[in-house]
Amino acid sequence: MIVLPNECLSEILKKLESYCRSLFSCLLVNRQWCRIVVPILWSKLNISKNQKLIRRCLLTLNTEEQAQLIPFKINLPNDSRSLFNYTDYTTVFNIDWDDGIKNWLKHDFNNLKNSEIIHVVQAIRHSLILMILRTSKNLKCLSIYGKQVNLPKILDKCATLTSLNLSFNDLDFEELKALATALYENTTLNKLDISGNELDSEKVKVLTEVLYF
Amino acid sequence: MDNGTSNSASENETITLKSCDGIEFHIDARIANRYTLLNNWNGGESACIPNVNGKVLEKVLEWCEHHINDPQLNCGDDDSRRRNTIIEEWDENFLSCDQDMLFEIILAANYLEIKPLLDLGCKTVANMMKSKSPEEIRSAFNIDNDYTPEEEEQFRKENEWAEDY
Repeated sequence: MIVLPNECLSEILKKLESYCRSLFSCLLVNRQWCRIVVPILWSKLNISKNQKLIRRCLLTLNTEEQAQLIPFKINLPNDSRSLFNYTDYTTVFNIDWDDGIKNWLKHDFNNLKNSEIIHVVQAIRHSLILMILRTSKNLKCLSIYGKQVNLPKILDKCATLTSLNLSFNDLDFEELKALATALYENTTLNKLDISGNELDSEKVKVLTEVLYF
Repeated sequence: MDNGTSNSASENETITLKSCDGIEFHIDARIANRYTLLNNWNGGESACIPNVNGKVLEKVLEWCEHHINDPQLNCGDDDSRRRNTIIEEWDENFLSCDQDMLFEIILAANYLEIKPLLDLGCKTVANMMKSKSPEEIRSAFNIDNDYTPEEEEQFRKENEWAEDY
């Protein structure tokens, strides 16, 4: 039986990058396959709906990122140390909806009131984004759909992105200024999506000054 | 295959390729030019292909001849090619061979840097893995499981989110 070298096996498994269930099976084949599959499986993360993925990502928060959740009295999952630093491999990170976070909250904290959930969800989103920006070795695309609290702190760490999506973020003047600074410092960005944000002439001026610089 | 120049016009040049086990193939020179597959070709009338035997080289050249008029892909097309696993009918029939031959074609395409054929071979193998359990994949590709039961269980737990897609 012919044995394919890692180089070819990697090419084959990359073909399955859109088939997470198949990659999951491949990951469990043996150690060699696992080492090849993990970077592919964790490359593009969309945490919009998947509460298991959110739980796994929450395990990666450091003390500072966890601290933001203390006021909400959320007990984070506390499993043993992971076998891989999975989010090191993440290159694309999307949060388009909050369903995944809400489902995780409802599952583990069913006593939360709806009025509290909105604030908790925002804090969790923020912690997860900061965690990805800290751990990913090569994050290229970040997509945050909908209003995000503490956006300037996130934008401050976006200097090497190639794509940033802040659709329907309800960007205020201060956030626009932070975005303008981030754009000024970022020399790699080739795609910016701020659709769905109402921009008055003052906000547009802040952005265009940077773009024409 | 010894007279494998049927696809070329009479005015086209032919060159002779020799496999690692000494079998000669006369091919349309456009194939050699197109795939830069002949790293050892100095532009003369013949070239040796080390590492690829006659049986495999015959298959590789059959594929190259069939696709000689395909448009060349740019580097920018890599992503879109990678994302889909659709395979045309002729190619599907072409690769309906035994698994060893399929793997040999992939190895040869990789060695000879024939990217579209490598891509096709990889897609074919990838499609064979879809919807299979780890045990079915191990069995199909004759792979040993070297995980400890605890390790396998932990990897399963840490990546179980992928099952929900």
